[in-house]
Amino acid sequence: YSFSVEGDAIKVYVRVRPPSEGTVLPDGDQGLCLSVLSSNTIRLHSKPEPKIFTFDYVANMETTQESVFSSVAKNIVESCMNGYNGTIFAYGQTGSGKTFTMMGPSDSDNFTHSLRGVIPRSFEYLFFLIEREKEKAGGGKSFLCKCSFIEIYNEQIFDLLDSASAGLFLREHIKKGVFVDGAVEQVLSSAAEAYQVLTTGWRNRRVASTSMNRESSRSHAVFTITVESMEKNDEIVNIRSSLLNLVDLAGSERQKDTHTEGLRLKEAGNINRSLSCLGQVITALVDVGNGKQRHICYRDSKLTFLLRDSLGGNAKTCIIANVHPGSRCFGETLSTLNFAQRAKLIKNKAVVNEDTQGNVS
Amino acid sequence: MAAAPGVGWAAVCEKFRTARTLSAVESRKDPETEPYRSKYSARALLQEVKQLLSAAEEGGEARLLAVRRAVLEYELGVNHTDTEELSAGEEHLQRCTQLLEPHRLSPDCVSLYIQAQNNLGILWSERDEIKTAQTYLESAEALYNQYMKEDGNPPLDPSEHFMAEEEKLTDQERSKRFEKAYTHTLYYLAQVYQHLEMIEKAAQYCHTTLKRQLEYCGYYPVDWALNAATLSQYYLSKQCFMESRHCLAAASVIFSQAGQVPSAEDNETEQDQQDLRQRKAEIARCWIKYCLNLLQSARKLLEDNIGELDPDRQSELKAQRRKEEDEKEEGRKKAVLFGTSDICDSVLAMEEKVSSVYPLDFQEAREIFLVGQNYVQEAKEFFQVDGYVTDHIEIVQDHSALFKVLAFFEEDYERRCKMHKRRIDMLEPIYADLNPQYYLLISRQLQFELADTYYEMMDLKVAIGNRLEELDSHTIKKINSLAQLAIKYYELFLDSLRNPDKVFPEELEEDVLRPAMVAKFHIARLYGKLITSDSKKQLENMQTSLEYYTFLVDYCEKYPDAVRAVETELELSKEMVGLLPTRMERLRAKLCPFI
Repeated sequence: YSFSVEGDAIKVYVRVRPPSEGTVLPDGDQGLCLSVLSSNTIRLHSKPEPKIFTFDYVANMETTQESVFSSVAKNIVESCMNGYNGTIFAYGQTGSGKTFTMMGPSDSDNFTHSLRGVIPRSFEYLFFLIEREKEKAGGGKSFLCKCSFIEIYNEQIFDLLDSASAGLFLREHIKKGVFVDGAVEQVLSSAAEAYQVLTTGWRNRRVASTSMNRESSRSHAVFTITVESMEKNDEIVNIRSSLLNLVDLAGSERQKDTHTEGLRLKEAGNINRSLSCLGQVITALVDVGNGKQRHICYRDSKLTFLLRDSLGGNAKTCIIANVHPGSRCFGETLSTLNFAQRAKLIKNKAVVNEDTQGNVS
Repeated sequence: MAAAPGVGWAAVCEKFRTARTLSAVESRKDPETEPYRSKYSARALLQEVKQLLSAAEEGGEARLLAVRRAVLEYELGVNHTDTEELSAGEEHLQRCTQLLEPHRLSPDCVSLYIQAQNNLGILWSERDEIKTAQTYLESAEALYNQYMKEDGNPPLDPSEHFMAEEEKLTDQERSKRFEKAYTHTLYYLAQVYQHLEMIEKAAQYCHTTLKRQLEYCGYYPVDWALNAATLSQYYLSKQCFMESRHCLAAASVIFSQAGQVPSAEDNETEQDQQDLRQRKAEIARCWIKYCLNLLQSARKLLEDNIGELDPDRQSELKAQRRKEEDEKEEGRKKAVLFGTSDICDSVLAMEEKVSSVYPLDFQEAREIFLVGQNYVQEAKEFFQVDGYVTDHIEIVQDHSALFKVLAFFEEDYERRCKMHKRRIDMLEPIYADLNPQYYLLISRQLQFELADTYYEMMDLKVAIGNRLEELDSHTIKKINSLAQLAIKYYELFLDSLRNPDKVFPEELEEDVLRPAMVAKFHIARLYGKLITSDSKKQLENMQTSLEYYTFLVDYCEKYPDAVRAVETELELSKEMVGLLPTRMERLRAKLCPFI
């Protein structure tokens, strides 16, 4: 499989997980709501007409973790080494296999597990490439890797690397872009270390889910690695830096209250005084207005603000849409595939991140 | 009053009350693992009450019983929809409306009936059948209007059917709750119309919802103010400046209440304070857009075909305005006004600070400009570059745009030039600091705007120079340096389109097509304007100019779809591609007359 390099549209991958163990299917494919036709098309058994969806890559139930990694993430990690920002999203309903795809089997802290997911494999590959680069440059090139791990729950930001911290704020820096103010940054020197940090953070996420009444699938988790390279050629110092964001989105079924969902009316029900959602209606009205000179008081969500560059911005981005093939999940699967279809329309412009100001030294 | 025999009526009422408390208050504390625990308990209680009522059927008054049963069906219906059992919920709600149908216009039923319709509307929207939802909600709206016309007395609140006589509500409280139910109808209708893309109607219902929130004191000042400010932006996009200003003035007035009234939790955190300051800055930004739009629309009305102020048009519009002033009062009444008398007075006072009619001369434009500029300062106080890069730059861009449109009204070229210099002074340092790795889009916008501003300044200097008998060396130097700077920023913009291997794209993306072509075109013209006494240099400039014009012509030939975006520019470019070689030939002949 060769990775298409032309264009900068967001790449969309769909992965179909096997039906949960223990569910006995009636004969044949009767219990399934979809079938994989080829490595980039999928058929949804909708009525009256079945629907065909085309994506950049469709992984069927038999696809291995290794092959998902090489089709989805390998290229993004490579671009990251070349100074591009990269982002990998996992999207799908709870139970569709997002965590398995990204992390690997639950409760295995084993970094060498054969079923480990995209994230640990990305770490390995990233550090493999770094070592290779260093060797090639023979000491002329040095790297600095740092990571942070945050969680967005209920429009609040928590630091998973510092469980004691309260809500953090998103801010922007004219040179460094969007960042989470006060988030812990940990220096990484190997893939194993990265994995260590990740699992510690991941555990914080789960701990939080019981003690503070949070459910993990209701929050988004963003793991960010900053790769900085410094190369010395004679008197010229060349600095490059790039970000690799690995994002585990909240279960898509939880996103009914955001704009992604279709027609439902927002209820005022128990809200006594305020119809705060009215703002969303008005915002929608202004959105379709044709004039450009207007200001809308309601900001994007924290997640889209943080990942602005990755969505129609200055980065290489891919989305892994996970679906469960069971016919009971038909509705959610359809909405996931529709989302993925829309995501393909987002175009990214990737620009190499070369800091020319570093040239004077 | 007929009480249920057997069980005391008081006990029935108690059960009903407990069910309501469980549903509304207790349910919020339910654990995530059992999110509907209290709702289920409430449901059980309601069913008990229902059975007790059936037992009391004999001897009871039929109508009274029917209404009480309808109340229970309503509560059960809401309970089931709350717990995601839509079909059961629908059955209950339908039964409720059936029981009430004959009495729906009477004071003890009308409110319940409307609320049942509201809930049926929500229920159908959950099923993505917005049209069905619409019919329920519109019929609720109609019923409210009919009731208010025919009766109008404060109707009973549904909960009163299970209250002891001495607990019943006051007329004032009844009216408040009834009006709230109807406000919800309008609020849901606003959403329905938005989903059906009936934008104008949706806006109207949003407006009315806001108005009613004010009237019945059902609002949080900050939320309300933000909603009103956002609505003003809708009116801007429709060029309705009077409505837009009214929304903004009301937003500012109501927002100022937020600071005075201590919030629900008295211990305001720093976070709340910061939020409050941010909201204030957001409203200021809406005001900036208001001033900017008003000025820009006026400019559009007044400009002639080369973008200069057209004096004939100006006097024509002034005469027209004098005529309209007499009719102004009437127009005023047509708009929906916010607030009761004292709020309304403050809003009107606020409105007086800025005009809502098109400015027709520099004086009038300047007044609007100054108001806008004040809001720029206010917005910048919160949105500082450190921490709010995007917002800060957007505000600076607006400030620059305010200067740009004000300059249109300025007759004196020197002063006009100074206004553009102000724009440069605010944009250039920001651009220099900005990292395009993260702010590519803004960075491009700034490059383009800087280029355009230098271009405009150069044009002005040329115009000033043309009035002189002879161009002095100072002016020539100035013109050339402005032209060079314009070229520099256009080139920076074009460079930002190159791919990582520094190659200019074969085919331009749609969103950058027009700016890229305009940049090429302007560079071509700029090379044509550079003044030099060195003929060789002049020949070189002409050659460069020709290359850029040729780019436009060739590109449009290759991609005919592009023609639409740059029709005028293309036409002129074709002309120049025809003319320039001859001119260059002549110049060459002059240079080496003996060849």
